[in-house]
Amino acid sequence: MLLFVLLGTIFGFILSRSGAADYNYIQGMFLFERFQLYGIIGTAVALTAPGLWILKRFGRTVSGRPIEIELKPLHRGNIAGGLLFGVGWSMAGMCPGPIFVNIGEGKLYAVAALAGALVGAGVFGTIYRRVQGPFRLPPLVLGTGEG
Amino acid sequence: MPLILTHVPPIHWAIAGAWIAAVTLCLLFLANRRLGISTSLEDVCSLLIAQPYYRRGAVRSGRKWRLPFVIGLVLGGFLSALLSTGWSPTWDLGMFDDLIGFGHAGKVAWMFAGGLLIGFGTRLAGGCTSGHGIFGVSNLELPSLITTLSFMAGGIVTTQLVYRVIFH
Repeated sequence: MLLFVLLGTIFGFILSRSGAADYNYIQGMFLFERFQLYGIIGTAVALTAPGLWILKRFGRTVSGRPIEIELKPLHRGNIAGGLLFGVGWSMAGMCPGPIFVNIGEGKLYAVAALAGALVGAGVFGTIYRRVQGPFRLPPLVLGTGEG
Repeated sequence: MPLILTHVPPIHWAIAGAWIAAVTLCLLFLANRRLGISTSLEDVCSLLIAQPYYRRGAVRSGRKWRLPFVIGLVLGGFLSALLSTGWSPTWDLGMFDDLIGFGHAGKVAWMFAGGLLIGFGTRLAGGCTSGHGIFGVSNLELPSLITTLSFMAGGIVTTQLVYRVIFH
């Protein structure tokens, strides 16, 4: 548990100091005026991809257990949910991680963003069975994917 | 351009990206977990709302690592503030203040509305920038690529509308 707090703290500190949790830098990305966020996400993917490939070939975690990666399902929610999330990301200037980071930084409006996000996730889980059909979502026990 | 928080420029993008990759790979190698932050919203919901959706395995097993992780995110932001200009509550929102204005109440309403879309959208899509954008795309998963292109499109259109058309 302490490991997760530590990894989260490092992740949060980096998001805070890199511009990934900064309203101006998020808008600068969507306006194509600032490269910073494209550089961050691009570098992260460019290094995580070969890292994952190696870890999967190695096949084991540090404690020797087989590495298990649950793949996310493909459904109509990927596009619809992605578009909705994109609008929210632009409005708040935060994606889910930076919401928490901004709260830690003392940005008071981030508390409102978290409240909205919790209500949004709460509504989604409550009406899952009703959106399941139209968006071709997986059975309720599986959900849309852990991410 | 300086950060809203520290009033100094951010660290280099390559260094930030490398740290994010390191944490992502550590999470998998040390704890067998795939990075994904938006499900933490459901983890919190699972503590507050008695719905079958929040009793599924991904939440019950995952919240044991995700809740400590997001507590770490808050802590990371706090330390970042503390070690720069010192921690103090702020309403500063950069170019939003310069071009859109509103007051505190308007900002709260705007953020809440954005949050609603983030919460509902990420869960409908099955992930966010971390789970789809970084982990999923790095793992060459098609749903993640589709979702990432979708949220980038949603963000680009919205920001362009807000800052190039409406509040120009």
